[in-house]
Amino acid sequence: MFDAVFNNLPYLLGGFLTNVQLAAFALAGGLFLGALVGLGRISKRPWVYHPVTAYVNFLRNIPLILVIFWVYFVMPILTGRSMDPFISAAVSFVVFEATYFGEIFRAGFQTISRDLVSAAYSTGLTYRQTATHILVPIAFRRMLPSLITQSIITFQDTSLAYVIGLQEMVRRTTIVDSIEVRSIQLYSFVAILFFVICFIGSRISLHYEEKSRKAKVL
Amino acid sequence: MIEIKNVSKWFGDFQVLVDIDEVVERGQKVVICGPSGSGKSTLLRCINGLEPYQKGEIVVDGVSLSDPTTNLYKLREKLGMVFQRFELYPHMTVMRNITLAPMKVRKKSRPEAEKKAMELLERVGIPDKASAFPANLSGGQQQRVAIARALAMEPACMMFDEPTSALDPEMIQEVLEVMIGLAKDGMTMLVVTHEMGFAREVADEIIFMDAGRIVERGSGDEFFKNPKSQRTKDFLGQILK
Repeated sequence: MFDAVFNNLPYLLGGFLTNVQLAAFALAGGLFLGALVGLGRISKRPWVYHPVTAYVNFLRNIPLILVIFWVYFVMPILTGRSMDPFISAAVSFVVFEATYFGEIFRAGFQTISRDLVSAAYSTGLTYRQTATHILVPIAFRRMLPSLITQSIITFQDTSLAYVIGLQEMVRRTTIVDSIEVRSIQLYSFVAILFFVICFIGSRISLHYEEKSRKAKVL
Repeated sequence: MIEIKNVSKWFGDFQVLVDIDEVVERGQKVVICGPSGSGKSTLLRCINGLEPYQKGEIVVDGVSLSDPTTNLYKLREKLGMVFQRFELYPHMTVMRNITLAPMKVRKKSRPEAEKKAMELLERVGIPDKASAFPANLSGGQQQRVAIARALAMEPACMMFDEPTSALDPEMIQEVLEVMIGLAKDGMTMLVVTHEMGFAREVADEIIFMDAGRIVERGSGDEFFKNPKSQRTKDFLGQILK
């Protein structure tokens, strides 16, 4: 009953690999930029705080699909050369997800007491050293469940890159479907695959939530 | 070592420090006491450059904090600080807590930093806790680690902000003993505390603060035997009860 899926399995899974790769870039870049955004959001310097806050507010209030289109169509005009859909999508995701990860980091930073930061400074650590060794690691651990949840959403959203012609799984499924005309089984397969991956992710998130509740180490 | 000249500080309209004058000589031990909200902690934070002040001047080891070119990070290396709630880094072992600043700020090698950290842990009496995480230590042990962490940067002066007020009674003594040991070794100390036994034993000078002002100051004995102001008498009456 899954004949159309099996006949095109390598092609479809190849598309899925693209989703995974895109998600990997989005998460690595989004977490790094997100940590910086989070630091900007708690900054006492107005010239840091206001631009970062404007960036976050702007991107959190427009749909991701618009960002994907915008980067794909506008970036070539700005840079003067056409962009590979994968790179374009990766840039869109990093820029977009960084605002969400940034707000999670901000919440994490706000759980850290003022005196803990003072203690770090009082040993002579600089702002940068304090951010790298104290603030970001603590916020990361404390916010791990939320970060994983947002990562799952990011993974699901990678399928949106099909709108700029990226050969990810949903895009390839529509191509296979137009030849084989087996919509139900093809899209069911895609749904199952996404579900399995994301369900595992949400279990991992739950695990860390329980763990931190029990241990209350942080 | 530390000169505070006519320092005032406001939080908005509220004046937290009013014309504070104080000199702490090298090797001197000064205890600051007073009711909560009297500006004691704020004063320590100002000396360490953690809070700005609006009037007057603070000079640490010849370097003025009012000077905009002063590198506060460098200055803080000279001043160790211990906080009421320990403030150990919760995601690091005791060893890492102590070695972080020597390795990152002083660029010491790991073996060198760890050797020094072990010596300090011996000194505060918990060498066996090097690989433990802060959450698995008692309050008294955590505070002793915090003292070791501050000492690891070899500060010229140690500042304590109510180091025993978050501790269970049976743990206060173990922390005070470490502090008395430091005092006997000649460390310059500025201690905000209500432990009057400690004050009597080590303090060269006791300062009483209320509502942002230094109300009274005196040597240990003088302060307890003949408090001059009524405010000091009331306060001592309450805490020595």
